Amino acid sequence: MKIFISAFMIFSFPWIVFAKLQVATSTPDLAAIVKKVGQDHVDVFSIAKGTQDPHQIEAKPSFMIKLRRVDLVVEHGLDLESAWMNPLIQGSRNLKLASQKAVLELAAELVPLEVPKENLTRAQGDVHPGGNPHFQLDPIRIGQASLLIAKRLGEIDPSQKEFYLKNAESFNQHLHEKANLWKERLQKTGITEVVTYHKTFVYFCERFQIQCLVQLEPKPGIPPTANHLLSVIDQMKKRKLHVVLIENIYSDSIKSKLEQAVSAKVAHVPVYVEGEPEITTNEQLIERLVSAIESLK
Amino acid sequence: MPLSIFLLLFSMTVSAFAQNLKTPNISANALFLYRNSNFHREDLDPVNPDQDRNGFNLREAEFQFDADVDPYTRMTLLLAIHSSYDASGGAVEEVWTIEPEEGFVESNTIPNTTLKFGKFKATMGKHNTLHTHAYPFIDAPLAHVNLLGDEGLVDVGLSSAILLPIPWFSEVTLQYLRGEGENSEFSSPTTSDGVGLAHWKNLFDLTDALTFEIGASYARGENSLAGTTTLTGADLTFKWRPTEGGKYHSLSWTTEYLARNQSQPGVSDEIGNGLATWVQYQFAERWATTYRYDNLIVENSFDPINLPNDTWSRNSVGLNYIPTEFSSYKLEFNQRTGGIASSTGETTENALFLQANFTIGAHPSHAY
Repeated sequence: MKIFISAFMIFSFPWIVFAKLQVATSTPDLAAIVKKVGQDHVDVFSIAKGTQDPHQIEAKPSFMIKLRRVDLVVEHGLDLESAWMNPLIQGSRNLKLASQKAVLELAAELVPLEVPKENLTRAQGDVHPGGNPHFQLDPIRIGQASLLIAKRLGEIDPSQKEFYLKNAESFNQHLHEKANLWKERLQKTGITEVVTYHKTFVYFCERFQIQCLVQLEPKPGIPPTANHLLSVIDQMKKRKLHVVLIENIYSDSIKSKLEQAVSAKVAHVPVYVEGEPEITTNEQLIERLVSAIESLK
Repeated sequence: MPLSIFLLLFSMTVSAFAQNLKTPNISANALFLYRNSNFHREDLDPVNPDQDRNGFNLREAEFQFDADVDPYTRMTLLLAIHSSYDASGGAVEEVWTIEPEEGFVESNTIPNTTLKFGKFKATMGKHNTLHTHAYPFIDAPLAHVNLLGDEGLVDVGLSSAILLPIPWFSEVTLQYLRGEGENSEFSSPTTSDGVGLAHWKNLFDLTDALTFEIGASYARGENSLAGTTTLTGADLTFKWRPTEGGKYHSLSWTTEYLARNQSQPGVSDEIGNGLATWVQYQFAERWATTYRYDNLIVENSFDPINLPNDTWSRNSVGLNYIPTEFSSYKLEFNQRTGGIASSTGETTENALFLQANFTIGAHPSHAY
């Protein structure tokens, strides 16, 4: 019996002392932030892939298994993931996730844009009542999100509170510096407005003072119609727009039509970390977008 | 509950995007159906024409309420409104009724376990847990309709769904149902006779894009004939949705087997079993096509008029148009042979359906 107890202590001791926090995120860009903040003290995985639309992830039971030992779930929030994340959390039967502290929704804490002032109906498409949740392309908000994540990790794991905060502050500072450089580069392109497929670029555009008022979707979540495309082409002609960014979670099958109709320059770009194989950090993602716009000038 | 009072209460409380502590999630679903079949089932039994009829109809409306009761429990109430036909006064009249299709509370307070109490759809395979508007085809498989009844196996009882501590999703569900209500196969005259049910579900991620699910079910209880009814089921599902371009293409293939054995003293056991296999292929963002083959084999029937000793088989093809997650349209053609003949003696039924499905409010997503 003593041998069994000794063996148990020997094998379980390192696990008990050095057990890492287990974190799940809805998308890979949030997982990348958690990695920056938690580093070796955190194991993190994303439920959605960077090539998937986070509005429409299927609540696979295998994700419930992944969530059953998780200490923290990090989401964009503002109802982006609620349709599939809530059933996954319930299905995981993880008692830790019943605590308010165990689910962190970021977007609402980061001064959301496009918060509707009027009463909403679904006739307006897939509109988020709390505002636009796609903050992941704004480097400043990513930095702020890292501070929120550090605070929450520190509440769950107080022994590493300073470590998380220091990493987040350093990351935040670095992104502020990079944001200025990206802004200068974008201003040099002379491009002041871009057309996008969905309202994914709202925060990116606001940060870098580019307008993105025209979308290929007639309404959020509704695929482009022939009539709407004619209207987009008309607006592009009138306003002399020629840069189109199509998020690579959507098909770029209308690229040739736009190229023919208005000589548009169209880029099919990732909007989440791991949206392309070589993009593994938030910084690389924004660099990819800035470079894409530079190449279209 | 009178329909008008219910609708008044509903209209006072429902407000899209206004769910809060005081207001549960509320949703309403309406299912409209056009049916054109060479089997005018109402001609079969004009005195009791509570059967499928040709023409346009509001097939069913559902109202669902769900919310956390407190930190320990969550409650779901699902009310169904549907019509039946009454010929008791001489003329055939359409009568609308509202009834609780499901009403239960769930709790996750025990590790790895979901406890459920109330009236719910029993976990007898996969299809039996679906609500009508989530059926992959207009009708449930032949075996489900004829062996479990129009509404499937739904009853008041207790349920415990336990996640096994192994690396893949493996869930054992144990349920005890009271064995009363609409499910005649388990309506024992002795109130203490309940139904025991066990279901084992396993799901494996073969790749990020492909999953494989296998399940087995078993239920047993006393029936109204002083004998025993046993249900046995098995199901197999492959689902494929690529991680790149998954908005535009996906495929699912499900096969489900259901068998029922009923005994009563002094006669041979009644045996019914059937298989259903169906494929759904999504070929564009809003479009999918479907195909199903299903059959039913009945021997030693206790009720040869409504459940003839025969081999039934059916082929179904469909085209689905799904503009958003809140609306969908389904065009379907079914050809069935065997089973109940038409009033004119035809043994092959050809039926064309067009169904429209609409949902408003905060409707929870359907299970994977």
